[in-house]
Amino acid sequence: MRRFVKTTEMTLLVICVVFFVFLVIASGGDLVGANSLKVLLQFLAVPILIGLAQMVVLAVGQLNLAVGAVGGFAAVAMGVMMADHGVPVPLALLIGFVLASLAGLANGLLVVLTRINGFIVTLATMTVLLGVQYRLVGTRTVDAYPQGLKSFGSYAVFGVLPLIFLVALLVAGLLSVMLRRTVPGRQLLASGGNPIAARLSGISNDRSVVLAHTLSGAILGVAAILTVASSPGVNKSIGGDWLLPSFAAPIIGGALLTGGSAVVLGTVLAAFIVRFVDTARAEFSLEPSWVNFVVGTVVLGSVVLGQVRTRRQSRRTVVKAPDAAVAGRVS
Amino acid sequence: MTLFVAERVDKLFPGVRALDGVTLALEAGSVHALLGENGAGKSTLIKVITGLYRPDGGKLLLDGSEVAFGSPHESAAAGIGVVHQERNLIPGFTVGENILLQKLPTSRGLVDRAAIRSEASRWLAELDLDIDPDQPVTELSVAQAQLVEIAKALSVESRVLLLDEPTASITPNEADRLFRVVDKLKNDGRAVLFVSHKLEEVFQICDTVTVLRDGSSVLESGALADLTRDQVVDLMVGRVHEALSLPPRTVDRSVDPLLELSGVSTATGHADIDLAVRPGEIVGLYGLVGAGRSELAKALLGLDRITAGEVRIRGRAVRIKNVRDALRNHKIGYVTENRKEEGVFLEQSVSRNIAVTIWDRLSKLLGYVPAKAESALVARYVEQLGIRIASPAQLAGTLSGGNQQKVSLAKWLAAQTEILIIDEPTVGIDVRTKDAFHTLIWDLAANGLAILLITSDLPEMITLADRVVVMRDHRVQGEVANDHDYDRMSQQVIRLIHAERAVA
Repeated sequence: MRRFVKTTEMTLLVICVVFFVFLVIASGGDLVGANSLKVLLQFLAVPILIGLAQMVVLAVGQLNLAVGAVGGFAAVAMGVMMADHGVPVPLALLIGFVLASLAGLANGLLVVLTRINGFIVTLATMTVLLGVQYRLVGTRTVDAYPQGLKSFGSYAVFGVLPLIFLVALLVAGLLSVMLRRTVPGRQLLASGGNPIAARLSGISNDRSVVLAHTLSGAILGVAAILTVASSPGVNKSIGGDWLLPSFAAPIIGGALLTGGSAVVLGTVLAAFIVRFVDTARAEFSLEPSWVNFVVGTVVLGSVVLGQVRTRRQSRRTVVKAPDAAVAGRVS
Repeated sequence: MTLFVAERVDKLFPGVRALDGVTLALEAGSVHALLGENGAGKSTLIKVITGLYRPDGGKLLLDGSEVAFGSPHESAAAGIGVVHQERNLIPGFTVGENILLQKLPTSRGLVDRAAIRSEASRWLAELDLDIDPDQPVTELSVAQAQLVEIAKALSVESRVLLLDEPTASITPNEADRLFRVVDKLKNDGRAVLFVSHKLEEVFQICDTVTVLRDGSSVLESGALADLTRDQVVDLMVGRVHEALSLPPRTVDRSVDPLLELSGVSTATGHADIDLAVRPGEIVGLYGLVGAGRSELAKALLGLDRITAGEVRIRGRAVRIKNVRDALRNHKIGYVTENRKEEGVFLEQSVSRNIAVTIWDRLSKLLGYVPAKAESALVARYVEQLGIRIASPAQLAGTLSGGNQQKVSLAKWLAAQTEILIIDEPTVGIDVRTKDAFHTLIWDLAANGLAILLITSDLPEMITLADRVVVMRDHRVQGEVANDHDYDRMSQQVIRLIHAERAVA
């Protein structure tokens, strides 16, 4: 517990609370009304998930530029199956989820088998999937899917806690347990933290990379389901604005870009903060472009802070990134 | 009882016989030292034993039966634990997780934290270590991290333990702690292999010794009790070398030094370094890996901060800000150690590579560099250094190692440097090119350049240097004037390295 006080998560939690109180006061108390709270949380579900989808790939030392394309493609595929082909809802959602997971698996396998940088691989798969997404819906907005799904998307427990928000939290919880408490999860983080040491300990770094990308795809599959359920309809622009938030949440949440860190809670809290920025924007009727400006600045600030923190730590201790350890051997 | 034997092991790399019929036998309840100069084959042997490399000949025997390891995982499973030279802990993991990383205990599919704690505690207790298994490894000191790695090596139920230079980066006090642990392991009946460059440690804790030289074992399992320090040094150094004959060259010692350091300390840990290089002189910097030679060069170029003392160039105290400043205003060039990473632009033409230091001199309006000016200038150095190229447009990456190194040297000559720092110039270069390179460096000095030569290749040092300055632990141990007598010189240099330092 004493350790927790000093962590990024603790800082974020304090920022969250302060920000929230500030917003409540600024809105004259409107924000604590059941409906406002519900809306606030409803729009948090998908950002949390796309942040986690990026976080799990960052954890292994990679990145995924295709988050928006995978999610958008899966969402559109589900919508088209239900609206145009009458596929039953559960089946359509399952197929969409599987497709997203397969897209992630493909990313992982491509990175491992071709040894091409993940940046290029996911940039390529992003472009391919954007093409597929456009081919599926063209310029239409598909919204003729069953009402039941839409009510699931807007249902809130006690009128305050949206179901989709709870689903996102559930995914976060599962991911956290997976990364912290299962052997594949620990191996994934070991590969990200120090690939050489991981290899010398008998861990397959390739398997870790494939696992991370597949998990990322699966999480995006869930994000796609929630998007379909909570939006009035799906079209070619779904997923188009996911990339910045996907990086913003884990980076503000304290993820190391060099890999090895699992910051599920940090990512979730950071998604809250980004959401609050958006709420504040609405509250004070500012230009929407301010949100990107603020989030971008905060991301940059977090990266710089993280850099400072790592440098300070490596000055104090010996267990550092592998490249530094190797450099230290040069006479 | 003999636990492990490596019998007549060969390991070939392209053009090099890294191990040539090496035999090593490890006894239960005994600490065995593995000694040898840089590049003698110590780390290669460890990598063969742990399955990182496959031997090209010979066999490995564990408990009398032959074994072949395809990966470090397999050797660990067979009970061979290893602590590599590099730190191998996962940052962000706890001590316990790191110790048991090779086989995390689980219950019902989840990593069992209680089991990690109790099992890791058992290994830590085995080593009498008071470290909390729940502590993150990032909070450990260097020595603690080292001891945790030993616990990790033990956790595979290892009976054979290989320690590759475990004391390279820890203080004498911390080393004593480590030795107590090694003693305990020995008394528990394990076989320990101890690789170190520090002879005093070897005589303190080891029972037997194998000495490697140029990939061969020149002493197999000798009892240390029967050996003196000097005998061991003689074995390590050997006496075989045919010197390259170079024309005589004299240094005018009345001339003031071009480069002079007095009492220099740096941010990377150097303390109180004195050094002087005169025009026409080659001063060698010798030391083991980690002695801080390249770092000193980098500090001279302004890449690391100089915290105390004075650097004088042509008699004037200077403060060098960066490489650009070093080159432009002080005419210092640095031929780097890793030519592929730091010395040459592999994807660029030879002429661009050489002209890079003088682009602003060649450039015309708006920074345009006429290709003709580049090639004209380049032709001169290609000829002077004997660089074998098809055309100046040839990509540097397609050249042989020796020619790349010449390109890396040529760019500093093109910039008309007067002080040249040359770092490990002939690593991975064949013997004939090596000789050509030595002649080249010799001629440069004869033409009046002041050269600071950093090399771990002792014969190279003795062939070229006028004086050899020996460094250890970021300090100057002493200096030997070179009479180019290989036997005497190498003994003196090695003695200096291993000498106890006069009270610091």
